[in-house]
Amino acid sequence: MKRTRLAAVSAVAIAGITLAGCSADGGDDPAAADSLTVWVMGDSSEHFEQLIAPFEDESGIDVETVAIPWDSIDQKFTTAVASGNGPDILQIGISKLRTFADSGALLSLDDSSLADYPNLASSNFIDGVAGDATAIGGEVVSIPWVSDTRVLFTRTDILAENGIDAPPTTWDELRADAKTLAGRGDGQYGYYIPQWDSALPVVMTWDQGGDIVNGDGFIDFDTPEFEKAVDLYTGLYADGSVPTNSDFDQTQGFISGVAPMLVSGPYLAAAISSAAPELDGKWNVSVLPEAADNTSLLAGSNLGVWGATKNQDGALKLLDFVSDPANQVTWFGLDGQLPTAKAALADEALTADPLVAVYSEQLANSRILPLVPNWDGETGKALLDALNAIVLTGADRDQTLQGLIDATSSTSVN
Amino acid sequence: MVREDENLPHHHHEAMRQRIAPYGFIAPAMVLLIAFGVLPIAVALLVSFTDMNLAGLGNWSRIQFIGVENYVKLFADAAFWQSLGNTAFFAVLGVPSVIILSLVIALALNRSQNRFFRMLRSFYFVPAITAIVAVALVWGYLYNTQFGLFNYLLSLVGLPPVPWLSDPVVVKFSVAAVAIWRGLGLNVIIFLAALQGVPKEYLEAASIDGAGSIRRTWSIVIPLLRFAIFFVTITTVIAWLQFFDEPFVLTKGGPLGASTSIALFLYQKGFSSSQFGYASAGSVVLFAIIALVTLIQLRARRADVDY
Repeated sequence: MKRTRLAAVSAVAIAGITLAGCSADGGDDPAAADSLTVWVMGDSSEHFEQLIAPFEDESGIDVETVAIPWDSIDQKFTTAVASGNGPDILQIGISKLRTFADSGALLSLDDSSLADYPNLASSNFIDGVAGDATAIGGEVVSIPWVSDTRVLFTRTDILAENGIDAPPTTWDELRADAKTLAGRGDGQYGYYIPQWDSALPVVMTWDQGGDIVNGDGFIDFDTPEFEKAVDLYTGLYADGSVPTNSDFDQTQGFISGVAPMLVSGPYLAAAISSAAPELDGKWNVSVLPEAADNTSLLAGSNLGVWGATKNQDGALKLLDFVSDPANQVTWFGLDGQLPTAKAALADEALTADPLVAVYSEQLANSRILPLVPNWDGETGKALLDALNAIVLTGADRDQTLQGLIDATSSTSVN
Repeated sequence: MVREDENLPHHHHEAMRQRIAPYGFIAPAMVLLIAFGVLPIAVALLVSFTDMNLAGLGNWSRIQFIGVENYVKLFADAAFWQSLGNTAFFAVLGVPSVIILSLVIALALNRSQNRFFRMLRSFYFVPAITAIVAVALVWGYLYNTQFGLFNYLLSLVGLPPVPWLSDPVVVKFSVAAVAIWRGLGLNVIIFLAALQGVPKEYLEAASIDGAGSIRRTWSIVIPLLRFAIFFVTITTVIAWLQFFDEPFVLTKGGPLGASTSIALFLYQKGFSSSQFGYASAGSVVLFAIIALVTLIQLRARRADVDY
């Protein structure tokens, strides 16, 4: 039954040996020059086919879109690297960018190779992800594609019932409001902290005016700003303002009003609208509260070209096509994902939507997480484990934070 | 000997064929065993002495032999010891539960062959064949702290909600319970099959001698089931040492690693962090533990009387 698990890890290595042998001579597809394979994350592949239909007609290139579930991208990518048999273009979540780039499987996209593709110039994209902002070791291996940020969601009706006229504009206000709202009764909370969200404590540090990377490019949690962020994070728990169970459902919590405030992404707005249309007008989004700043997280995905692609020109043409501001606006209409091209974000089709106006405003003041080798699995996990140990199991704060500092201080973004 | 062979080349040929024949018969099984059993373990052993990661997988020249460094790091890794401890806990809780419960259920189901009991048999087998993702989804909802059925039922009798999947201690029991529930079906079937092999004459003879139902079960049926129990024990122990599915889908090993089994730890290191060398070192350790435990069980069995 589960016997296969034993060899699961080594099976990858086996795959590496056997497949690498085939890849050297295999894969000589005669149709390579007029076809492209694109890996699209999540369930957006059908929309993507719609988006690029005009491109296929115009260029005569047959684009095959493959849907890759978020959960299995690591295995898919590992297998592709091991076999040398990847797609031509792939969508890369920014949190995976460093790992993917380090594998050496992605094509380097320097200025000279992009010169013929005006839409790919880094000045076209929002600063937080353009060009050098997502370069790995000084090398650009991806083009911005879709963006995502975090904003403050509030149940304005519940806030008003409890004498809070407007969403909090400072983190101190948020903490106070959360405490007020948690006072509504047993099982009622003011705010929700997802225990898996490693970005939130980083955003809190940024907002205190600090950074978690020092001048030498090393992770540094030994700063007064991070201390303040920890005060805020642990304070919300100490006040009893946030649920402590790890299986809390943020959408249900917001809709039911159990946790009427939280910081989340545009996907939550979509989830609320579809699950509870009757709440329309009773909730709102606003830019993050501030302390020294109100910087938010810039997430999203880039597109990369497989280094061993047989159709580099076609791949760059397709990147150029999807980076065209007009097509990015179309993509927003089809799939609801925010563009990365500045011109697309300023398009009337987007700015007319009050929610999107808030997202755009926040995007202008947002940053990506540090591009360390393995944010999710190591630095981010260590950060979350430390903070959650303090708030959930009552671990000693100073000792736990010192452990975090020791474990992460040799991690570099370079 | 030599002279005979020289004189009888035909016989020599025949003898040779007879000596080779058995190897020919076991060859297919051996090839599969070597390809999917021995070779991966050998490769894992090899990889465990390297710093292989995703970059190394793409370009082998970047792989370096680093000796026992992975093992040194592994034995100093608190998360490894935690997952090892969790696995021991899961096994100690899960193995006896699965064996005893499935034996009791099989004995109960064996009392009658009527339609109702036949229906019950399939009922017990359903969890074993239900997709783990569906199982996780349903149990996730049952366990949910705010909106789950269990806490709703508790609230009906005035009890406070239990953080089924959020408390570092409770989560171990919650996750193990799902695995026990899932593991019963197959073992019940194995025991039921073994029960068919218990000769009716023995039971009738005991009846005539005045033995009651419990006495017959304890003194005749269970001893005759020894081999089935032994088989179920070995497979169940191995399955629990490789415990993975339930914590993976229900909690991802959380909170704070409280439900991370050793197999899940290896998965996280190998597939999520792409530290193949490190994960391989862990898998070699797990292999050694399983081999040792199984060997001890086989030894214990050897001393046993066979009926």
